[in-house]
Amino acid sequence: MITLKEALTKSKEELAEIKTEIEKLARESELNAYIGFESSGEGVPILIKDNIQVTDWPVTSGSKILQGYIAPYDATAITNLKKNGMMAFGRANMDEFAMGSTTESSYYGITKNPHDLNRVPGGSSGGSAAAVAGGIAIAALGSDTGGSIRQPAAYCGCVGFKPTYGMVSRYGLAAYASSLDQIGPITQNVEDAAILYDAISGHDPKDSTSAEHERVSIAANLDGNRKLRIAVIDNYIEAASEAIQKAYAETVKALESAGHTIVHKNMQNTKYDIATYYIVATAEAATNLARFDGVRYGRRAEGSNLSELYYNTRSEGFGEEVKRRILLGNFVLSSGYYDAYYLKAQKVRHLIRDEFGAIFDDVDLILSPVAPSVAPIIGSIHDPLDMYKSDMYTIAINLAGLPALSLPVGKDEETGMPIGLQLIGRAFDEQKVFDGAYSLEQTINYKN
Amino acid sequence: MHIDLTVLEKLEKLSHLRIAESKREEVIRQLSEIVSYVENLSELDTTHLDASFSTLEGGTPMREDIPVSDTTAAPSILSHAPMSMDGFFVVPAIIE
Repeated sequence: MITLKEALTKSKEELAEIKTEIEKLARESELNAYIGFESSGEGVPILIKDNIQVTDWPVTSGSKILQGYIAPYDATAITNLKKNGMMAFGRANMDEFAMGSTTESSYYGITKNPHDLNRVPGGSSGGSAAAVAGGIAIAALGSDTGGSIRQPAAYCGCVGFKPTYGMVSRYGLAAYASSLDQIGPITQNVEDAAILYDAISGHDPKDSTSAEHERVSIAANLDGNRKLRIAVIDNYIEAASEAIQKAYAETVKALESAGHTIVHKNMQNTKYDIATYYIVATAEAATNLARFDGVRYGRRAEGSNLSELYYNTRSEGFGEEVKRRILLGNFVLSSGYYDAYYLKAQKVRHLIRDEFGAIFDDVDLILSPVAPSVAPIIGSIHDPLDMYKSDMYTIAINLAGLPALSLPVGKDEETGMPIGLQLIGRAFDEQKVFDGAYSLEQTINYKN
Repeated sequence: MHIDLTVLEKLEKLSHLRIAESKREEVIRQLSEIVSYVENLSELDTTHLDASFSTLEGGTPMREDIPVSDTTAAPSILSHAPMSMDGFFVVPAIIE
């Protein structure tokens, strides 16, 4: 597939042909990455995750409860996209309300991994990553609350970037966990990710958590020759599979050969990150998803009175994982448990951020796995807690609000599946994250 | 902590959700396992830490209290709502 950089040089007529070709390929595809072929604006077609508002599109967060809902406005990320020579084309499948790591919980069925149709593409932005890796999208937007851009990018062998919290407006992103959510790009290479990130980033008065930080074009300043100090977290890697450990060791060597300085560090056990995340995220989700009651949006189930209407709408409309997280969120927020769970987790977020801060006093970037294994077989994860634990490497970054980019570094010899690793940076230091990733990409020269 | 049937019933009420009879035992087991797992945070000393957290420097910004009106959104939302009439959402009778 043509890269985003190249596509941006094409004429209106050429782009119309490219779009027609993409639609044809996507409609014939077995991946189930697209759940709609809506179109908005003019320019290079970008696939949009089904939780980002585009005017007059059905935008359903992969859920039954939002069937019938039509978005009344464009998300700011979409407005920015359109100002920069791009358009929104197609809706990407996702885990329902972005709650999942496999894209198996979507109302629209399972999306498949282009490298092995028996395996999941990861999640929750599984449709976005599968389409880019499968050659049926030039680039896509995803959202990342606990790894939902980086993990599917790693499973599918493409690049995924989660910006610093506040750098991309959340206006028009269906809220899952408001203090963690960020929209970001999923692309074929690091430079495309920088171009797409530059396009969607910007301060937005419509999002009170939007950062008033100066934006300088990352793509225009991309420098693969910059030498950086990169931390490897020695005690992190033990929990990863042999294939991931091997790829990690080879990547460290590649970074050294490219002239970067490797520094060894340790971090606290990831079990605390997992616990903190699943308290904070479910608490915020329970609150955010209270708005889906069958009165104003989407699908209504009938009831003899208003209370029955609420119960029936929500019980029929939400899937199992979403219900589980709402129940958990209301548990940690409920009277008698609020202090012990929710407030405790909020306090631990300080510890997590401070721990990253101490490491970033000494280094520019951290190299970390994205997931403890390659993409699992469809249907192989049954236990929700097992799924939560597989987020061990990605969620601390959201809890601390940091930028991180996942890029493919190799393939597992046994399964042939791609392996992605992530580079994590200081808050607002996206340039170094992209420079380090650009250098690594050129050194490793990964081929899909 | 073990989540029992009484706690589940309370959570269903708070969540406006009903868990099907056939799933209740499984949900109770899963919630108990998850809640027990997240209790590992009690191993960490957080005595002197602030209970509020924000990645935004200086907290949430203030702004002038000027109304922002998008006159196109309301008719669009109402026209796609499950049931609406005369600019209102329609729900079953609240007062008997």
